Amino acid sequence: MARVITITSGKGGVGKTTTTANLGTALAMRGARVAVIDADIGLRNLDVVMGLENRIVYDLVDVIEGRARLRQALIKDKRLPELFLLPAAQTRDKEAVTPEDMIALTNQMRSDFDYILVDSPAGIEGGFRNAIAGANEVLIVTTPEVSAVRDADRIVGLVEAAEKGPPRLIINRINSRLVNRGEMLSMEEVVEILAIEPVGVVPDDETIVISTNRGEVAVFDQNSQAGRAFINIARRVAGEDVPLMALTDQQGVLDRFFGLFGRKAR
Amino acid sequence: MSFFNNLFNKRERSAQVAKERLLTVLVHDRVKLTPEKLEELKAELSAVVARYVPEAEPAEIEVTLLRGESADMLKADIPLRRSRHDE
Ligand SMILES: Nc1ncnc2c1ncn2[C@@H]1O[C@H](COP(=O)(O)OP(=O)(O)OP(=O)(O)O)[C@@H](O)[C@H]1O
Ligand SMILES: [Mg+2]
Repeated sequence: MARVITITSGKGGVGKTTTTANLGTALAMRGARVAVIDADIGLRNLDVVMGLENRIVYDLVDVIEGRARLRQALIKDKRLPELFLLPAAQTRDKEAVTPEDMIALTNQMRSDFDYILVDSPAGIEGGFRNAIAGANEVLIVTTPEVSAVRDADRIVGLVEAAEKGPPRLIINRINSRLVNRGEMLSMEEVVEILAIEPVGVVPDDETIVISTNRGEVAVFDQNSQAGRAFINIARRVAGEDVPLMALTDQQGVLDRFFGLFGRKAR
Repeated sequence: MSFFNNLFNKRERSAQVAKERLLTVLVHDRVKLTPEKLEELKAELSAVVARYVPEAEPAEIEVTLLRGESADMLKADIPLRRSRHDE
């Protein structure tokens, strides 16, 4: 039976779709059967991030409204035979889907997969409610900025109120040089403020831009630090005990020097 | 170290500023105490305090919402006037 995991955020543009694509791929690379669902109805994106936009025939709303069977709508990944995408409808609005629809859909899929990842739209409205409806677990993505963390705090409250259990946190776009200079909130500070368990930190990394341009995901790129961070997140999600500080270990000597420097100064 | 810090870096690091602003904004998001209500609270509090502690400086009472380790706090600072024979 699949674990249904929704990836959400309060503020938009913090990296939910990037996380869903990379985490889904990394889990499938480990041999799991994975489906990723784009629940951002009207703003379809996960397909282009995964480079599958040319293969779409049917979408989530077609399945919900009975025009297509699930099998027909699921798109197989280019590389991984056990990774599938259920795309969002681009021409419909989010009123086309209800939370009950999402619960029915994920229940229908559960027996065929090990993981079902749901890419949520930003915000606290209908689209968010739909995206978490079928979830057993929620991952909240934030960047280390005041506005994003504030909005993440709102989402923590809503997820808890929806009785989804304590959500876990992914901090995306950390710039370790800025953190070391004391000019960016650190992972520890964000975790302390939000008081939820972290599952990973992802560096701000140009390889994300490059791989997204090509419609490939960073986890396939051996040289991508962000890709490695997503692989570590997949390991933690799968239950492995991977220390969170793996990210800082990869910093250059200079960064580490300034890191010591900055800490002493405080 | 702190000498250099003071020399070249008069301004507080922005991460520290961000953290303080976040902590404040989050408590205010959670505890819906509007600025007007806070003013009312201060006024009533100073009236009560003045009845019991004549040394209190009602005009200087400060009431703040703080994010604490395990619980959020409503903190009141009430300065007292020092009378002559204390010194
Ligand atoms: N770690 C990273 N390093 C560099 N760029 C990143 C990183 N993560 C995300 N981005 C970039 O940030 C932008 C927004 O990312 P993404 O689309 O994943 O966010 P989102 O939360 O899904 O947005 P929306 O709320 O609009 O759905 C994209 O251009 C993406 O390439
Ligand atoms: Mg998105």
